[in-house]
Amino acid sequence: MSQAPVVRLQNVTKVIGKRTIIDRVSFEVQPGEVFGFLGPNGSGKTTTIRMIVGLMGLTEGDIQIAGHSVRKEFPKAIIHVGAIVENPEMYKFLTGYQNLLHYARMNPSITKERIQEVIELVGLQGRIHDKVKKYSLGMRQRLGVAQAVMHRPKLLVLDEPTNGLDPAGIRELRDYLRRLAQDEGTAVLVSSHLLSEMELMCDRVAILQKGQIIDVRSIRGQTVDKAASEEVQFDVDHPDAALGILEGQGSGKIVDGLLTLSVDRTGIAALNRRLVEAGINVYGIRVKTKSLEDQFLEMTGSETIG
Amino acid sequence: MGNFWNLILNENMKIYRRVRTWIMLGFIVLLPPLISILVMIFSDGPSSNWNMMMMESYILFILVTIFTVVIASETVAGEFTWGTIKLLLIRPWSRSTILLSKYLSTLMFALTFIVAAFIVTLLVNIVVFGYSGNASELSGTVGISDWEYALKYYLFQFISLIIIVTFGFMMSSAFRSSGLAIGLSISFLFAGSIVANLFSVIDKDWVKYVLFMHLNLTSYIQGVGPIPNHPTTLGFSLAVLAGYFILFNLISWTVFRKRDITA
Ligand SMILES: Nc1ncnc2c1ncn2[C@@H]1O[C@H](COP(=O)(O)OP(=O)(O)OP(=O)(O)O)[C@@H](O)[C@H]1O
Ligand SMILES: [Mg+2]
Repeated sequence: MSQAPVVRLQNVTKVIGKRTIIDRVSFEVQPGEVFGFLGPNGSGKTTTIRMIVGLMGLTEGDIQIAGHSVRKEFPKAIIHVGAIVENPEMYKFLTGYQNLLHYARMNPSITKERIQEVIELVGLQGRIHDKVKKYSLGMRQRLGVAQAVMHRPKLLVLDEPTNGLDPAGIRELRDYLRRLAQDEGTAVLVSSHLLSEMELMCDRVAILQKGQIIDVRSIRGQTVDKAASEEVQFDVDHPDAALGILEGQGSGKIVDGLLTLSVDRTGIAALNRRLVEAGINVYGIRVKTKSLEDQFLEMTGSETIG
Repeated sequence: MGNFWNLILNENMKIYRRVRTWIMLGFIVLLPPLISILVMIFSDGPSSNWNMMMMESYILFILVTIFTVVIASETVAGEFTWGTIKLLLIRPWSRSTILLSKYLSTLMFALTFIVAAFIVTLLVNIVVFGYSGNASELSGTVGISDWEYALKYYLFQFISLIIIVTFGFMMSSAFRSSGLAIGLSISFLFAGSIVANLFSVIDKDWVKYVLFMHLNLTSYIQGVGPIPNHPTTLGFSLAVLAGYFILFNLISWTVFRKRDITA
């Protein structure tokens, strides 16, 4: 990619007292990319996000948003950012609409029509003139998303955005974030410890542990990677006979009554044809990627928090 | 970037969209007629509109100071308590400007309430006791007209109010605790005059630089300084207050600009 990254962290370090909470974290998020920030409790996700949005200062390093340093040109950098940091706290004594108006007034580009548009987008039109103290957590989360996207930011930062949402809400948010990235080229940075969530939502995931990035990997890239061999399961009526056909063609085995083997995309098609030609009924073919969760737990282990 | 007035509108929305603000205003508007009518019914000697106005204004200034201290303390500390500071500070405005909008809206609140107090106490007492003219009833032998006395009284009291409120605002942004800010500023208001009385007998020059000594500027209307044993001029008192004013604001702004937001 030759595009300029929307956000770039360079050796970001945060020391509080004597503890190094964030240790030389560097990464970039491109326009249109959904970037996940994954790590166990206390690994430093929220702290990193606070530094990106300027709530906390950096001890070392720099963060640039759309080419502007958060340290040196804060207003110019932050105007491109929409964010929810931890819980979406709102003014409880104001209505949802007044809360949005409050943040809209602070940004010159937001019109009354745009406010209306985001209210409908997050589906709050029925309750927007209620006081926020009467909102459920999920409704506040929606209001939080509304204030974050109102000014069409180039970078959307969401710290555990699915917290408090029901399954339908989670799905909606996920689809919305993907659309935002694809259609408007927004760079999205989400943190979570819901690993399965991240797999469905993100293009790339950085794994954070004890304030350090221990790995950055592509998620979507993996499943489209045509050359890579993957574990594939064939659901057939005669697994043993099928295994016989395989002889001399790599190593297959039978797991839970399914023919399981490692093969690339073209191999799947070829093998399927041979099975059918041999008179074996194929009921299903499943590509089994090792879930991120497995990889994540493998890497971070089941260590104690911190 | 953008319009600073919008920030003031926001702060005003957060002040005036709360029921308690209107209860406060209710006190300011209803207390004077209540006192005046009670005095009219239960006292036999005819009271003049000016004397009653000043008596009520004295009480209202204490109330408005307390109310404004509550507003000043919560305007910053409240955002931390509510967690909304995280959403407030991630906008294209510097922290200094946001703090300024909070400070100015707090002073505007005080000014609004003080103007309301002036109008209400003036009108209510003219209606209840009749207008006694513009002689020198309030200042006695000094010979200042009653209108001039009343206006100077309000001006001087307002200056002291600003200092106390600025102190509360500083506590609010430095300690993020509205309870502490309110408590300290109000004890400041009440203990101030006691401390001033104690200190005034001390025969040392530094007494003249103690803040508490200069919070009662109204004595200058009668031509004497607020510290009995240390003659001072109005200009001197204002200079001392200005020094504290700058110091308090310097602390507010320095702390607020630098601090990590972990709320
Ligand atoms: N103000 C602070 N002072 C000292 N240490 C802090 C402060 N804030 C956070 N920490 C420490 O920094 C580390 C990272 O915290 P952070 O909140 O960023 O983690 P997180 O990845 O967001 O965790 P979670 O998944 O629980 O939200 C923790 O060990 C925490 O104790
Ligand atoms: Mg966190």
